[in-house]
Amino acid sequence: METKIKEYRAKNNLTQQELADKVDVRRETIVFLEQGKYNPSLKLAHDVAVALKTTITSLFIFD
Amino acid sequence: MTLKKYQKIKLALVVIISIIFSQSIVFKNFIIPIIVLIISSLILMILRRRVKEIVADERDYIVGGKSALLTIQVYSWAAAIFMFVLYALRDTNPSFEPIAITLAFSTCLLMILYSLIFRFYNQVKFTEKKGKFITLVIVLTIFISIFTLRLFSGEDNWICKQGQWVKHGNPSFSAPTIPCK
Repeated sequence: METKIKEYRAKNNLTQQELADKVDVRRETIVFLEQGKYNPSLKLAHDVAVALKTTITSLFIFD
Repeated sequence: MTLKKYQKIKLALVVIISIIFSQSIVFKNFIIPIIVLIISSLILMILRRRVKEIVADERDYIVGGKSALLTIQVYSWAAAIFMFVLYALRDTNPSFEPIAITLAFSTCLLMILYSLIFRFYNQVKFTEKKGKFITLVIVLTIFISIFTLRLFSGEDNWICKQGQWVKHGNPSFSAPTIPCK
């Protein structure tokens, strides 16, 4: 799985901690998400997409 | 309260509980550690509510679930192997038998508890059978408690009376080899 979270986070001028606070997770989870090492729940994927003002399909790319 | 402060307090409490537990075993006092354990749990519960940061999220719960499952599997296998070995060697040392029974009993209890909790989260939580399931668990808990009390009550054991080991009930093992004082 590949993610575009880092790019969208930079576009929105958010730090990892700020994004984590917005979606109610720990910063480590955002780190794992950005590295594509964690498959989030549908709710978390949705929350991240909303926080970054985009859609789930733009954020997560499956091979 | 910050998460770091909460974790430091938690660590300090674990150290204090360990010290109290070890001292209680030495002094054979089992009421103080239970009281300390309850008070510590309450303190942690109150402090956790005051932490404004996220203490655990969905990834922690997934990792926790996987770790718990692996721990149960490792413990069950280890306990089963040790139980068979100790039970097979019970003739060489009679004290091996109660240890083997305790291991077997604790493993069975762990498996039953795991199965019940798994079933609850997997199916029952989302159905109308919730009430029936909880009733069944309560009845099962009562039966297991009675069985445990009967098993560990010392009804079938050897009692030291006037310098001699006397049969009490019908113990399944021979009289202890240690001197009776």
